[in-house]
Amino acid sequence: MTAPTRRRLLPARPRPPSFSGRLHDARTATAVGRWLGAAFAVCFVTGLISHYLQHPPSWAADALPSRPVWGYRVSQGLHVGTGIAAIVLLLVKLWAVYPRLFVWPPVRSVRHALERLSVALLVASAVFELFSGLLNIAEWYPWPFSFVPVHFAVAWVAAGSILLHVAVKAPEIRAHWSRRSPGTLALPAQDGPDRRALMLGLGAAVGAVTLTTVGQSVTPLARLDLLAPRHPRHGPQGLPVNRTAAAAGVGEAALRDWRLEVLGPLPYSLTHAQLLALPQVEARLPIACVEGWSVEALWGGVRIRDLLDRAGAPPGAAVRVTSLETGGAYRIMEMGRTYARDPLTLLALTLGGEPLSPDHGFPARIIAPNRPGVLQTKWVARLEVL
Amino acid sequence: MPRNAPRYVLGGVGLLLVAVGVRQVFALPDPWDVLVWLGGGLVLHDAVIAPLVLAVGLLLAAGARAARWSAGARGIVRAALLTAGALVLVTLPLLLRPGAPPNPSALPLPYGRNLLIVLGAVLVLASAALVGLVVAGRARGGDPTPPRTETTARRKDATSPREDTTPQD
Repeated sequence: MTAPTRRRLLPARPRPPSFSGRLHDARTATAVGRWLGAAFAVCFVTGLISHYLQHPPSWAADALPSRPVWGYRVSQGLHVGTGIAAIVLLLVKLWAVYPRLFVWPPVRSVRHALERLSVALLVASAVFELFSGLLNIAEWYPWPFSFVPVHFAVAWVAAGSILLHVAVKAPEIRAHWSRRSPGTLALPAQDGPDRRALMLGLGAAVGAVTLTTVGQSVTPLARLDLLAPRHPRHGPQGLPVNRTAAAAGVGEAALRDWRLEVLGPLPYSLTHAQLLALPQVEARLPIACVEGWSVEALWGGVRIRDLLDRAGAPPGAAVRVTSLETGGAYRIMEMGRTYARDPLTLLALTLGGEPLSPDHGFPARIIAPNRPGVLQTKWVARLEVL
Repeated sequence: MPRNAPRYVLGGVGLLLVAVGVRQVFALPDPWDVLVWLGGGLVLHDAVIAPLVLAVGLLLAAGARAARWSAGARGIVRAALLTAGALVLVTLPLLLRPGAPPNPSALPLPYGRNLLIVLGAVLVLASAALVGLVVAGRARGGDPTPPRTETTARRKDATSPREDTTPQD
């Protein structure tokens, strides 16, 4: 087939852009891509941990570990911190492979079409996960759907399409894995120093966004926390909150004649003064939000275990906690046996030696080790032995 | 194909996870809203963000050629632009979010001011690195063209690639 006939058979080529940059190659894509892959793996696993701690399947509810105390703090801090770092990694990775968007002909075969489709799925889901996560921690919800189920569902698409992509590209990844891999050696040697400079720049960018935001979860770095949505020292009693008493509809009227009701084989109720007269326990526990920020604080109050025992609860009992909140997805919270029996799980009455402020859940709140912040129910009205 | 078996297993697991996710998306009250946002992200990146970054890369390459920057100097400027772009990008939602924060402890910091401070630090560090590069070059007896630094850390882009046809070394 001669060149002119060929030209007539193909549709007129709409002159795709040409790329003069030298680092749009498989070695750069591999070097950046493996960091991005690791970041998404961390985000996916920590995301699953967070999801199943918050919504355990019924068979697992009594088996969730209440230790280590700092477990959720670390896992969710990693989820958000790694997600922020992955924004930079994803953009550089996509920059490296961007010219492939304009390959000609756009589709060579069914196999090629499927491969391109899987890449489109990967890019769309990965961009969506990082973008929606970044907006969520800024408490900005411009979309018409609910964040949690969508972020969770698309995470599976992103994780799956990354695995698929690695499987498809395995030979190329292998050929460019190290500086001395055959594929890398086939690339122009003069690009090596420039590629290393790009990787150093990428490291600097990841380091900069991490250092200026991670202080919201790693308290010793709080002084560098300049660009995070939260700061560990900003909030009532020096501790951030997610829901204020006003937002929860808990005002003076709701607190008038407050008594803690405990329902079980031997039901009883206690006034605030009676609770303070019970044996008090102190526990140093972090409050760790699903949005990534976390702070450790000194809580004082009565052990949930003691309150349940007094109601005649059997040792394997779980507990249902109801808040005074007028609405909201977390008004009623259930806590499995491991948390209910943990000696550090408290009905807290004080924070840092002071009575709880209204925004921290006055008159009484739950504080338990290794649990997402939304389950540390504030303004507790009732405990029910299950 | 025993040699390729792990690849097929990995690909199969990947397809399975995608299916799990797609099933969840279509179990949502309005899956089409999600598809619109997924497609929107793809278009936003491919049609807006990436071309913008490439344009900055072309400008940088042109500047580097005109001013005859060394490869090292261009690497430093690129790293500074990449870092500045990343910082701007992660701060943008905090700056652009409409309405008051939901409570006083959410978004409590002066983000505009803090961003300028951090970008200033990037500018200072990049300038110091460039000066170090020139000094090291002089000490070696070379005659590197002193690089210009005034564009450092000013642009609001995510990445700043080198777009350059002429090998420098």
